[in-house]
Amino acid sequence: MFQGFPEIKEALMSNRMQAAFMVAPMAIALRAQGVPIKIVYLGHRYGSAVVVQKDGPVKTFPDLRGKTIAIPSRFSDERLIVHKALRDNGMEPDAVKLVEMAPPDVAGALAAGAIDGFSMGEPYPSQAEIGGFGRVLFHAKEYWPDYISCVLVVRQDVIDTKPEAVQVLVDGIARSGLWLEEGKRNRLHAADFVGRYYFNQDPKLLSWALTNPIDRVMYTPLSPRRADFELITSLMLDTETLDRPIAFEEYVDVQFAEGAKYTTAWKYEPGSGRAE
Amino acid sequence: MTKQKKIGAIVVAWIALVTGLHFYMNADWSVFMNERLPLDKRKLNVAYIPVT
Repeated sequence: MFQGFPEIKEALMSNRMQAAFMVAPMAIALRAQGVPIKIVYLGHRYGSAVVVQKDGPVKTFPDLRGKTIAIPSRFSDERLIVHKALRDNGMEPDAVKLVEMAPPDVAGALAAGAIDGFSMGEPYPSQAEIGGFGRVLFHAKEYWPDYISCVLVVRQDVIDTKPEAVQVLVDGIARSGLWLEEGKRNRLHAADFVGRYYFNQDPKLLSWALTNPIDRVMYTPLSPRRADFELITSLMLDTETLDRPIAFEEYVDVQFAEGAKYTTAWKYEPGSGRAE
Repeated sequence: MTKQKKIGAIVVAWIALVTGLHFYMNADWSVFMNERLPLDKRKLNVAYIPVT
């Protein structure tokens, strides 16, 4: 487990990690710079929000003018959603001040008044809500209906030499996503064991993020779609985080998503300790 | 054993203990060992951060 995307980027480039979940624009930018990686699947859909101080002066999006907003990286969908919302509200790109901050730090920074708001993936919007000091100004999907953020990236040498291992990984993510979409009970169970064994976070926080409302984060469909990525690359060109147009095929490999197309949800009864 | 030698031995033992605990508790040996396996036997290391 890492605490920020820049560290993941370094680990992937140095081959200490062979695959990673990272924000889509960072993956595209790395590929555009010649780093031998490909996006093979999505991690989720939706699940990001712009959060402001609960009793602060920001009531509507235009109130953000002149305010400081934390984002996880310049190369993140969370930055692009702020850019898109500015554009959709007829505001200039520099109407807000953006600062990069590691995701686990943003809720504390908002509570301390160091920032006026943040644009971040879950569970940090939930953390601010539960803590009573943050309010969701808008969820990403309100401005970007098919919003995606984290994607699964794999090194090209692994795709070439161990495609069967990559397929097992993608199949597992697809099956987990379908299992999560079977209902609230599965989501609550996932929140419990992911909180305790993977994220080292309070399961109540993840329960909130996964169920308030139930479609706050979605885990289907996770196949990379051309239109979604073309919107991302056009926003990246707008924000000068990409210096040239890049073809979908150059940074996405759809063979594993195709291979996972007919997978079914895990047959797993919460608490049984066995999935099939 | 002189007093100076006793103190030196305690210091060396303390450093060895702290070093040993550091390597046991803070180093990720699974990654280190995985990198030394033949290519076809290595596990995939998948990086993530605690965020959606």
